[in-house]
Amino acid sequence: MRRAHLLGLGFLSPALAIILMLFLIPVLLTVMFSFTNMSTATGISGGAYEINAASLRKLADAGAQESFVETLGKESFVVDDAGITAAAAAYGEQFANEVGSQMLGERFSSRRDLERAFRKLKSRPRSTRDIKKAANLFKRSVLNIRFETAGGLVGAVTDNGIEMTPDQQELLTKTIYTGWTWTSDNFALMAQIPYVWRVAGNTVLYVVLTLAASVGLGLFLAITTFYLPSSSATSFRAIWFLPRILPNVIFVLMWKWLAWDTGFLSSLFANFGVPPRNWMLDTGVNAWVFIVLINGIVGASLGMILFGSAIKSIPQSMLHASEVDGASRWQQICYIILPQLRWPIMFICAYSTLSLLTSFEYILLSTDGGPGGATEVWSLMAFHTALDNYAGNLQYGLGAAMALMLVIVGILASLVYLRIFNFNDLVAKPRIEQ
Amino acid sequence: MTSSNFRSWPLYLILTVISMPLVIMYVYLFVDTVTDTTAGSLIPDRFTLHHWRFLWEEPETGRVSIWTVTLNTFIFATCTTLINVSASVTAGYALSRLNLPFKRFFLGGILTLHAFPTITLIISIFLILQMIGLYNTLIGVILVKAALELPLGIWIMKGFFDNVPWEIEMAGLQDGASRFTVWWKLVLPQVQPGVAALSVFVFLSAWSEFILPQVLAPSGSAQVLSTYLSNLIFDDMKPDFNMFKSVGVFYALPVIIIYLIFNKQLMNIYGGGTKG
Repeated sequence: MRRAHLLGLGFLSPALAIILMLFLIPVLLTVMFSFTNMSTATGISGGAYEINAASLRKLADAGAQESFVETLGKESFVVDDAGITAAAAAYGEQFANEVGSQMLGERFSSRRDLERAFRKLKSRPRSTRDIKKAANLFKRSVLNIRFETAGGLVGAVTDNGIEMTPDQQELLTKTIYTGWTWTSDNFALMAQIPYVWRVAGNTVLYVVLTLAASVGLGLFLAITTFYLPSSSATSFRAIWFLPRILPNVIFVLMWKWLAWDTGFLSSLFANFGVPPRNWMLDTGVNAWVFIVLINGIVGASLGMILFGSAIKSIPQSMLHASEVDGASRWQQICYIILPQLRWPIMFICAYSTLSLLTSFEYILLSTDGGPGGATEVWSLMAFHTALDNYAGNLQYGLGAAMALMLVIVGILASLVYLRIFNFNDLVAKPRIEQ
Repeated sequence: MTSSNFRSWPLYLILTVISMPLVIMYVYLFVDTVTDTTAGSLIPDRFTLHHWRFLWEEPETGRVSIWTVTLNTFIFATCTTLINVSASVTAGYALSRLNLPFKRFFLGGILTLHAFPTITLIISIFLILQMIGLYNTLIGVILVKAALELPLGIWIMKGFFDNVPWEIEMAGLQDGASRFTVWWKLVLPQVQPGVAALSVFVFLSAWSEFILPQVLAPSGSAQVLSTYLSNLIFDDMKPDFNMFKSVGVFYALPVIIIYLIFNKQLMNIYGGGTKG
């Protein structure tokens, strides 16, 4: 590598470091996470093995034999050294020695059996209650104990005298693991979600309608303000540029106020005898109208600026010449302005398709996908699944798989755009070889 | 463009009609913060400063003072701008002027990165921040926001550097300056308008950011104004729009002031980067 390269790389390195950490690694991790079943329930670090009431139910659901589940859940009584030491401390050496010499290593499946065996001993505690207590000292169970490894769990289960076939062992360790595991089920799960096709349809509808609204309105604003004297054009442009620059929380707040059941529209229509209602959320169609308006107006601001500067760069002489020839304004627009705007329009369409496909902030803030999922789009579904839902169990893995779909679409689309918009022109060779 | 062939009043009429809803919303946004309106009426009828009480009253228990939140927002926006602009200025120059291996690859890569907006990254970033312990801190959100705006920043700065004449640099090198000195002393002053425009753009973008703080730093101590306002709206069963609007105006004031001052530069960036 030449010295000159080092200077360039040095200049690039801060940006590269940030991009590596917060773009490349997250994208790779998104791919990784989408092949796991990570969720709030599994946690994000490693898990553990624990048999408890809930995991036994899970085990039964996963198809383990009933008898096997039952044995796991049962307590057993084992006469071992630990129990004997405890008994010695509580009921004296004599009793402990007798238990040790006569019963060491024996197992009992219920406490009653162990108590019966104790009663045969000479130095047993006198009261029934004490015998019960003594028996409890020998209770051994795998219930509610955390094991870090599968081996630890299997060892403990076997120590308790529960025999497992290899199949049962595999099923057990797989089912009761509380951490996340690798899986490719997310994509199958995604296809099984009953409303997933509706969400996909919503997404297409959202992109198409909003794009049409913003390009149409943007063109209209750019052309009309072009024909106005500059002072009034500036004020109209300011009115329509503000939505782009206002924080989205405030912009949506204004629309909510407009649509609320105590808001502007309701108060206005009350004069005509229409009962007040929440105009944004009362039907799916209304919600769509608001979504398209809110996003469309924000898009139109950008369109207005871009198209406006493109119109300004059209040579004035063309317009003057057409006027001398008696062209109407409509003819000027159709034959001079619009053909010149072909590239800006294509650029806006390309750029907005991508950003609309993945933007959901305005929908989240205004309807949050409602009413009843009518305005849920793909990116919002991913967000809801992974980061914000009412059920409280955030499914990171499934959400990452949904986001991965968007990543794939995004990469494909931008490759196509790089072709269309002539990437080679953007890369010029440096003229200093140092 | 005006012309004697056309009349202007139909245009005025149409534009005024379609601008009406926006104008009504803007006007009421400001008027409602200092007035009260009788229920069911459209015309406000008394003056009050009651809706601005959040500025001087003690916050309710469980809420953070608006001034803490404002300070957070300011720190968030300023640090994001600093990090983003410094990385963009160096990377933009490297991509525009310096000899780089794999230059095409870097440029194409940065354009492609622009195709990864928030949602595709935020799930893994959320998990990463939790793993490294930056979840619920301002530092985490600052880094993420600065990074997400980086592709655009680099691209814009590259455009500005492309427009600086080569002769300036060649003259500097002829006089014996190093490439770095040339960049620092000769080229950077040439792109000052670009740096200013990018700074304003990133600052505004960070000031308005909602999703990142909402997901990555939702708790009280790291709250910013956008999440503060949206929580206020979300928590309230019986919405007090006048109060929401007062907080909203308070939040939007810097944006509006900056917009009034930097109108031209902003139009430049929003209008597709640089001239040309």
